[in-house]
Amino acid sequence: MKISEELIREITYKVINDLGAEATHDKVREGVEKELAAIQTVPGNPEKFEGKVLVTSFGLNKPGIVARITGTLAEMDIDLQDITQRIMQDFYTLIMIIDITSSPKNLKEIQEALQKVADELNIKIYVQHEDIFRYMFRI
Amino acid sequence: MNFDFTEVLETIMMSEVEHFDIRTVTMGINLRDCSDRNINVVTQKIYEKIVQYAGNHVKNAEAIETTYGIRIANKRVAVTPVSFIGDSFTTEEYVKIAESLDKAALEIGIDYIGGYSALVQKGMTPGEENFIKSIPLALSTTKKVCSSVNIGSTKAGINIDAVKMMAQVIKDTAYITRDNQSIGCAKLVVFCNAVEDNPFIAGAFHGITEGNATLNVGVSGPGVVLEALKNYRGSSIQDIAEVIKKTAFKITRAGELIGRKVAEKDGVEFGIVDISLAPTPAEGDSIADILKEIGLEDVGAPGTTAALAMLNDSVKKGGLMASSSVGGLSGAFIPVSEDQGMIAAAEKGHLTIEKLEAMTAVCSVGLDMVAIPGDTPVNTIAGIIADEAAIGLINEKTTACRLIPAYGLGVGESVDYGGLLGKAPIMPVKMLSSDVFFNRGGKIPAPVRSLTN
Repeated sequence: MKISEELIREITYKVINDLGAEATHDKVREGVEKELAAIQTVPGNPEKFEGKVLVTSFGLNKPGIVARITGTLAEMDIDLQDITQRIMQDFYTLIMIIDITSSPKNLKEIQEALQKVADELNIKIYVQHEDIFRYMFRI
Repeated sequence: MNFDFTEVLETIMMSEVEHFDIRTVTMGINLRDCSDRNINVVTQKIYEKIVQYAGNHVKNAEAIETTYGIRIANKRVAVTPVSFIGDSFTTEEYVKIAESLDKAALEIGIDYIGGYSALVQKGMTPGEENFIKSIPLALSTTKKVCSSVNIGSTKAGINIDAVKMMAQVIKDTAYITRDNQSIGCAKLVVFCNAVEDNPFIAGAFHGITEGNATLNVGVSGPGVVLEALKNYRGSSIQDIAEVIKKTAFKITRAGELIGRKVAEKDGVEFGIVDISLAPTPAEGDSIADILKEIGLEDVGAPGTTAALAMLNDSVKKGGLMASSSVGGLSGAFIPVSEDQGMIAAAEKGHLTIEKLEAMTAVCSVGLDMVAIPGDTPVNTIAGIIADEAAIGLINEKTTACRLIPAYGLGVGESVDYGGLLGKAPIMPVKMLSSDVFFNRGGKIPAPVRSLTN
């Protein structure tokens, strides 16, 4: 996406210069494609996840919910930083703050793993970046 | 914990129960660098540029949805008004441009592409005339292309010749797409005072003064406002205005966050947040329901315009505080077919075109998705467009018409497109002649801006 036409032109000139007299149509194309591929796979380009994640869960209260959720998080090397829970009659609401930067899993995989837990226990679990909560209520 | 328990739950309730979503993230793309004398070169350049810039737009927006847990209902693209790219083209050649836009839209997986547009408020070049004539065919041969034409502005007046032409184009579009309930008309808007950064389809285009590529976001949320108001039955009007402001603040903040993140991922500049209340046909996601909650028996009751004015103004006040870059149309939309409550009011005869017209004087954006009898004469359609444009002209606001003279259908019947476009009952139109007025031709001069009574 960030690769502009000028950049491609620049790379092409460079490849032609490097090849010198050997520059054929196919060789130039091959060289340019190689250079472009190298740019696109610069390490760190697959963006790093920044900030914390909120796990919110609610449903009918029963034993073992926190254990199941935290167990699943632990399996994925996720650091649990805070946890708050409230019980209203038969229902519970639970909010956890987690740090996923040390986890080998990405956010989508974590969401899928927790969705499995939610389906098994018949509860709701939402996994969202913290910024949405900050933005909506704070300037 | 840094987070307030109730605030976290409120956010989740908004998106899970109250239909809160980001209505659209629309990437505006400049196509002025795609011009050429050869139409085949132009269509190829257009296709390549759209795919280059917006190729990952849908994927990027979906990633942001996952990260923040907020739905983005539509991912779209708007381009430079097409008439600017090919002023030397014939009608057939313009249709080829529409087809290349459609092909690009299909390739990148967006739901609509806007910008098959022209701005003719002051006058019309031969190229623009060809372009306008191409609209019916362009809309019938493409699936995702949306068209808009600006026929008036407060600075230029109203181009009545263009109004007449557009009335004919609307009729022709209804006819040419008659096998599909005249759906072409649902993708065609006639504007007065069109804005250049509107992210909403069908009127979106990438303004001529915009940069190379920008990302504009349109928020939604009538359901959220409705739920908030339910807790304030019996409160004074100032109190509910305050509730609407606070709700608009929250949804605009979410819109700004999501818009900036999608722009960052797309690698383009962030443009604006359009602070609009845009309804959907889903139950409870309705502007009409808000008006009823405020205290009207149904939309169309005396007091409707006043309540809507308050709603619209409060949304703006809350939204302006929440975002540093507000733009677009920014107001409450009242499309008839896309709002369960409006559909019901129109079916019962509580809501007439005349009342809708009055309502559009105080909100965004005009007679939107209004179905009228298929045999409505061209000059009558021109009259409806000109009346709506006059409201925009004098009040320095955007007004628009998206009229569907449903071919072969009359009052008591309806067109039903399903999805976001919804269902439009055919509304009666006054069958008094405006022929002599429109046969005069010419322009309504630009209005005076003082002595504003």
